[in-house]
Amino acid sequence: MTADHVLTEMPSLSKLYVNAAATAARARIKRVEPVVALPPRALEVRGVTADLARLTQFQHLMGKPARDVLPSGYIHALAFPVAMSVMVQEDFPLPLLGMIHLRNQVDHYAPVLFTDVLTIRSWARDLAGHRAGTQVQLVVEVRNSEGTELLWRGVSTYLAKGIYLPGLDKPAARPAGAPRETFSPPRPTAQWKLGVDTGRAYAAVSGDFNPIHLSVLSAKALGRRRSIAHGMYAASRVVSDIGSPKPDAFSWDITFESPVFLPATVSLHIADTRADDGGWLGSEFTAWNARSARLHFRGSVAAGTKQA
Amino acid sequence: MAAQKPAQQNDHPDKYTEFVSRGLGRDLAKRLGLPQPAVLRRYTPGAPLVQGPILVVGHTEGSDAVASVLLSWGQDVRRHATPKEKLGAVVLVLDELAHPDQLSAPLREVGAALRDLNRNGRIISISGQVRSDDAPEVAAARNAVDGIMRSLAKELRAGSTANGVVLANGVLANAPSALSALRFFLSARSAFVDGQFLTAAAEGTAVQQDWDKPLQGRVAVVTGAARGIGAAIARTLARDGARVVVVDVPAAGDHLAAVANEIHGTALQLDITVTEAGARILDHAAQRHGRLDIVVHNAGITRDKLLANMDPGRWDSVIAVNIAAQLRMNQAFLASSHFTDNPRIISVSSTSGIAGNRGQTNYAASKAGVIGMVRATAPLLSGKGGTVNAVAPGFIETDMTAKIPFATREVARRLNSLQQGGKPGDVAEAIAFFASEASDGVTGNVLRVCGQNLVGQ
Amino acid sequence: MSSPTAENTARPAANRGIRKAVIVGGNRIPFARSGGAYAHASNQDMLTAALDGLVARFGLQDEAIGEVAAGAVLKHSRDFNLTREAVLGSALSATTPAYDLQQACATGMEAVIGLSNKIKLGQINSAIAGGVDSASDAPIAVSEGLRTILLDLNRAKSLTDKVKILGRIRPKDLSPDAPSTGEPRTGLSMGEHQALTTAQWKISREAQDELALASHKNMAAAYDRHFFDDLVTPYRGLTRDSNLRADSTLEKLAKLKPVFGKNLGDAATMTAGNSTPLTDGASAVLLASEDWAQAHDLPMLANVVDGEAGAVDFVHGKDGLLMAPAFAVPRLLARNGLTLADLDYLEIHEAFAGTVLSTLAAWEDEEFGKTRLGLDGAFGTVDRSRLNVNGSSLAAGHPFAATGGRLVATLAKMLSERGQVDGRPARGLISVCAAGGQGVVALLEAR
Repeated sequence: MTADHVLTEMPSLSKLYVNAAATAARARIKRVEPVVALPPRALEVRGVTADLARLTQFQHLMGKPARDVLPSGYIHALAFPVAMSVMVQEDFPLPLLGMIHLRNQVDHYAPVLFTDVLTIRSWARDLAGHRAGTQVQLVVEVRNSEGTELLWRGVSTYLAKGIYLPGLDKPAARPAGAPRETFSPPRPTAQWKLGVDTGRAYAAVSGDFNPIHLSVLSAKALGRRRSIAHGMYAASRVVSDIGSPKPDAFSWDITFESPVFLPATVSLHIADTRADDGGWLGSEFTAWNARSARLHFRGSVAAGTKQA
Repeated sequence: MAAQKPAQQNDHPDKYTEFVSRGLGRDLAKRLGLPQPAVLRRYTPGAPLVQGPILVVGHTEGSDAVASVLLSWGQDVRRHATPKEKLGAVVLVLDELAHPDQLSAPLREVGAALRDLNRNGRIISISGQVRSDDAPEVAAARNAVDGIMRSLAKELRAGSTANGVVLANGVLANAPSALSALRFFLSARSAFVDGQFLTAAAEGTAVQQDWDKPLQGRVAVVTGAARGIGAAIARTLARDGARVVVVDVPAAGDHLAAVANEIHGTALQLDITVTEAGARILDHAAQRHGRLDIVVHNAGITRDKLLANMDPGRWDSVIAVNIAAQLRMNQAFLASSHFTDNPRIISVSSTSGIAGNRGQTNYAASKAGVIGMVRATAPLLSGKGGTVNAVAPGFIETDMTAKIPFATREVARRLNSLQQGGKPGDVAEAIAFFASEASDGVTGNVLRVCGQNLVGQ
Repeated sequence: MSSPTAENTARPAANRGIRKAVIVGGNRIPFARSGGAYAHASNQDMLTAALDGLVARFGLQDEAIGEVAAGAVLKHSRDFNLTREAVLGSALSATTPAYDLQQACATGMEAVIGLSNKIKLGQINSAIAGGVDSASDAPIAVSEGLRTILLDLNRAKSLTDKVKILGRIRPKDLSPDAPSTGEPRTGLSMGEHQALTTAQWKISREAQDELALASHKNMAAAYDRHFFDDLVTPYRGLTRDSNLRADSTLEKLAKLKPVFGKNLGDAATMTAGNSTPLTDGASAVLLASEDWAQAHDLPMLANVVDGEAGAVDFVHGKDGLLMAPAFAVPRLLARNGLTLADLDYLEIHEAFAGTVLSTLAAWEDEEFGKTRLGLDGAFGTVDRSRLNVNGSSLAAGHPFAATGGRLVATLAKMLSERGQVDGRPARGLISVCAAGGQGVVALLEAR
């Protein structure tokens, strides 16, 4: 990372979406030559604190009691505008709108209280070809106000579907001869009944008003037949559901396999791994559509973090 | 704090009676010659025994003794009528009657007093029982009283009644049993009893009686107590001081519970046709109250059908509930050590059991059976100072009779000397009278509570 | 009430020892399938009716009882003092204190155990434990959105603020929130959870149907021999449990389509016939010290010997939602030096036929005994001739909080009738599973 750019205040997500739309429109009109490099700078916002009312709403939406410690998923939502700002920069090579969330890996190093003053830093990395377009990783780091202690680190992988940048190799759709992975659902241990308003409800607590999540109409405008549950809603909820056995430091990893069109009934299988003494080591989770048995997402939560 | 107050028994006169009792309605009824039923005076604890002085007619030792007892009861007693003075009651003492010729003088005295009889007045005869070994003239005279009182009952108006006390051989006019019967007939407890006789079968024993709480300390069981007459019996016994176990079939348990809670009794849900019913009642009474003194067999069912169309189910169920169950339970009671202190059994019979009723061969069989059972059980109980009696209600205003079509009901109501239907409480008062310890010696009776129904005796 | 009564002069703390808590008797209203005879009766109506029947049975009119504890699983917020209100509406003395409690389907059991303990400690001399539930008159809440708006409206000071807040109401806010029987942490219904457990313990459809049939037959026979005459008081025209099917047959049960576990891959086995339906009803049990029962000339059917609660980690643990009793019973029996063979009667609540059979299977399983219960082998086998001999919830139905009272009164009467066995008082066990992975079990003994 060559240079950091410190933003004076937390960017507004709604303005960022408007900017993104404008950028997209401009790109369409001007047909600008695509850039094949990522912006070389990280963006940073200092002095960030959680909004208590919104935090409480977030915790309640996850079906969890309001605690002073920020849920791991909430920190992602809190930091998301910074990541968005990275992606709406003029020299960011991919269009923000319609980008698909493929994976999220988080290391949660220490508990973050709602009173903590935070420094949030984000940058993009690893622009790469994907069989369906181009993928990129957005790294977000959350530190204490002095920036001396890393508290939370997330890496989100996004796909700009149908965007192929020159110079990036498109991997083979599937290695020749490899059979398509068939998914047979395990025994469900939980079930989520997600109403049509799930996207709007999560948007309200996370601030992520991406139109594909909000309504059938807005989703159709972006080429989706129905609105889609936020990937981060699913991630936040499953990490919350695994709940209390988690120690202060833990990590999680979720891969999104197919969108959850709303409304939906999602079946989940959550299985714990425990040490001989009964101590929690981690949990694996899988989620699929209760009716069609289509795999939606899977991943794991584990005690401890990778060293930063 | 009873949340669920069971419907109180309806103490109001029927609408017709109310209408013809005053003002325009009364005038109209008089002119048209319509029946003019009186509003009957009914018993409330603490109210005067009778409304006015009591004229005692007769010049025997017995009449003097009765007069002095009445005085001891705090009554205003006259040995000779004072013209224009309103009388509450006339007691006609004929205990030494030996020939029909001796009836003339006392009856004329009664006749003269009738015009001064107050509303809801009482005429009560006291006479000897007709026995087969009586001299013919004695028997004639004694049986003449029966005809006199039944006729007089039909002549009386304004809620007044005529009834008689019959003394068994050797029972004096002032025997405790005779006095208990006399007091019942004098009181408002006998409001719907008219033209009837009670036999003092034995002397009885004098007891200290709290006349407002005659059943204090006694433990009673009432079957079929969830509704109607049974519920009224339970209420009346409780009012008179008894601790009451109310029994009914499990299916009526909610109404039964409401009655129990109202009267501070205990509810026993029990099908009385089961073999161990008597034992169950005894166990319950003994466990909760240490004893059983009074049994009221009130539970009964009807399954009407002309005999030609009678099926075994209808016949058998009526016999099982109305008489077989009583017989079986009585065996258990009579054998029990908890049922030995002046025990009382009172069965509810029916006018149908006396006079018969079309479509009720089964029911009449059971209710006439009850009368036979009572007569045969009396000697079994007399050894323990116990009594057994039956009460035969006539037309009583209940939820059941309320379902009779209006015109039929109106006619049925008026077919008695008092020209109205009785109240469940009227039956209950008669039962409470039999149940009291003062009624020792009053046994083997079948008392009709029917306002002197035209049907039957 | 300033003057001490027999009740509140229980026993001074200094000379309190542990004394016995006895079951005098019980009362319940017949249980009705939801939407049936009690469709318009509230929890308070039904609990009051159950109390009034108990008062009538034992002559407790105007009696000040030491304490009344009862509860409802589906409870309306207006019923914040449900039990006390029911007491005030009943024939009991208005000086009887009361409190609500709730432990899902084990509410009635916990009420019995808690109040028995107070009696044992000498804090009270008499008590009524009860429970009630209505699936017909279940509370319906306004939507979370509308609720928030209304609360904000209440806090708003100025008219302008109020108008602004009202402007936030959207049509979707106006649709009500009905209570769900799903487990909050898993979103699975109780039936779906049990389907997982039933499959885990490989309980066959036939075995479940046989248990359901036995429940109906046993309960119908008990009614026919007048067993319930002094345990049930009719209500609203209902004289027997409306779910009871005396004429049920295995053939009829076999025809029913599975309703739970249809996504499990294996053939689904749980039907409406071998699962309890949603039910309305109420029950109450009269508990007392020996002295109080004697002073009031009341019967003493059985002693409440001991009780035990348990819970399992069903969320992502190895155990089924309704399997807590499989752990609680072995603990309770061990504490009392007993084994399954020492029990003359077992009342295992039939939430589902699969629940009872899975519990029995776990107890017979050597691996479960060793690894989960820490025993040398299997916990033991239940003599089926001692299990739910007068029928249970599959026949009677299961108005959640009312089931404990039904079981305790029923077992107490059975033990009283049985009396002595081999020179010792007859013993019985009650086991009730509950939502949230819980279970409450109790040991009773004939007097």
